[in-house]
Amino acid sequence: MPASVRSDLEHIFRAAYPKVVGVAARVLGSRDEAEDVAQETFLAFGRTSIPAGEALGWLCVAAAHTALNHRRSGRRRATREEAASVPAGVAPDVAETVVARDEHQRVRAALSRLPRKQAVALVLRHSGLSYAEVAAALDLSPASVGTTVRRAESALREELNRDASSR
Amino acid sequence: MRHPGDGLLRRLLDEPDGVADNDRSHIDDCPACLSRLSEVSRDAADIENALRFDVNVDTDDAWSRLLAATAGEAPRPVRQRRHLKRTPVVAVVGVLALLGGASAAAAGNWFQIFRTEQVTPITIPQADLVRLPELEEFGTMRVESRPAIHDVDDARAAREATGLASPRVTDLPAGVTGQPRFLVGDRVVGVFTFDRAKAEKALGRPVPEPPAGLATTEFRLTAGPGLAAVWPGNSGAPALLVGRVVAPKGFSNGIPFETARDYLLALPGLPQSLSSQLKAFTNEGGTLPLIVNEGSETSFTTGVGKAPATVLSTEGGAVSIVFWVQDGFINAVGGSLSTDEVLRVAGGIRWAAQ
Repeated sequence: MPASVRSDLEHIFRAAYPKVVGVAARVLGSRDEAEDVAQETFLAFGRTSIPAGEALGWLCVAAAHTALNHRRSGRRRATREEAASVPAGVAPDVAETVVARDEHQRVRAALSRLPRKQAVALVLRHSGLSYAEVAAALDLSPASVGTTVRRAESALREELNRDASSR
Repeated sequence: MRHPGDGLLRRLLDEPDGVADNDRSHIDDCPACLSRLSEVSRDAADIENALRFDVNVDTDDAWSRLLAATAGEAPRPVRQRRHLKRTPVVAVVGVLALLGGASAAAAGNWFQIFRTEQVTPITIPQADLVRLPELEEFGTMRVESRPAIHDVDDARAAREATGLASPRVTDLPAGVTGQPRFLVGDRVVGVFTFDRAKAEKALGRPVPEPPAGLATTEFRLTAGPGLAAVWPGNSGAPALLVGRVVAPKGFSNGIPFETARDYLLALPGLPQSLSSQLKAFTNEGGTLPLIVNEGSETSFTTGVGKAPATVLSTEGGAVSIVFWVQDGFINAVGGSLSTDEVLRVAGGIRWAAQ
């Protein structure tokens, strides 16, 4: 490994990689794209001197931003994997699969339209970060994390309802 | 006891130990709070279900890929190259608005580096407009004073609240009738400080070493006060708006503008074409960047009186607005009007000081 890359990268990578992929996957709805985002995020992280104790929060926030940037840019790949991105358990019927996939991407599109801080807080919380971790990662007070997450959930529901009523 | 807010109800679902005992007792005994809690819980569950995307990863394989990537001379995207993914355009534009025009700076602890003397549109493709990290993600923006925009009774009250002259329009465009309502806003003061760690977090990659002193330099932007007369339209959008605001001024207490500008423009992800445009207009100093959405708005320059003016209109011309800067004010006339109509109104305004 190049000398410019931090020495504790592998340890942090192995501990945090699934979580970081999970954050990006919630935004993108695609495993391959989420892994690409996670790789980019760790590449960047490897050249920083962020303290190890703050690594998980930094990585999750960076992955969420990067994934949202992908999403907002509209530069998403239409891959065969999207066809397989319907959550497990959905009926194999083709029509139902198409509907479920459409719904799946509609949620991600609505998420990307939320204010950035709300979207990131929502994704971090639903990826399992504690209120204290979300607060530290986003420079919020722990007390305001609940408010931000609640507003994000309410706004996302409104986005989805508005989207549904216009279809 | 006051009912707890929705944020506290939300936390009660996830981390009940983080909620104070007296709040929990209140919620347990309060039908209104229990009803709200039920709604919050339903939304949380629905969103959790909507966002769920279970992924099984092969961490060993992923580590091998990362190793291969770090072994290269330059970091490469893992699967395919996606150029210009991140464009901190708004941040850069915002900071440049704070920094612009430093060549005319005067010495002093807070030296003025920016005085708006003309308005310049910058055309940015829509794709770049929608993937912009926000300014606060590149540093700290501390708002010391907010505009607190509010209605006042009439033109005299607007003048008294702001110390500005109010507009009189005698030749209203066809379809615009009645008396306007008046809005006023206070002076806005914001202080921006660049934060390298935040910028790296927003961009998802390391940024070049900032110039010495950038981290400790505060850029202070002031704008306002302002006032506007607004004639309502049938659709709810203003049929006509005529207003003015004391033009933004920027101050720095630290490093020279050129140094900071060149650094910000070099941040990864900024399209070269935009970078060139920004450099060109900021070299002259004293311009206020107006971002034009290339996909849905058109712009051209003309004059209002002796002042250069910029006219924007939406595609199809449904809404038009003209800006011009004169005597230290940014003036604007806009509404559900054609560009000819807003220019005719702009040319006929009389500004009444009393």
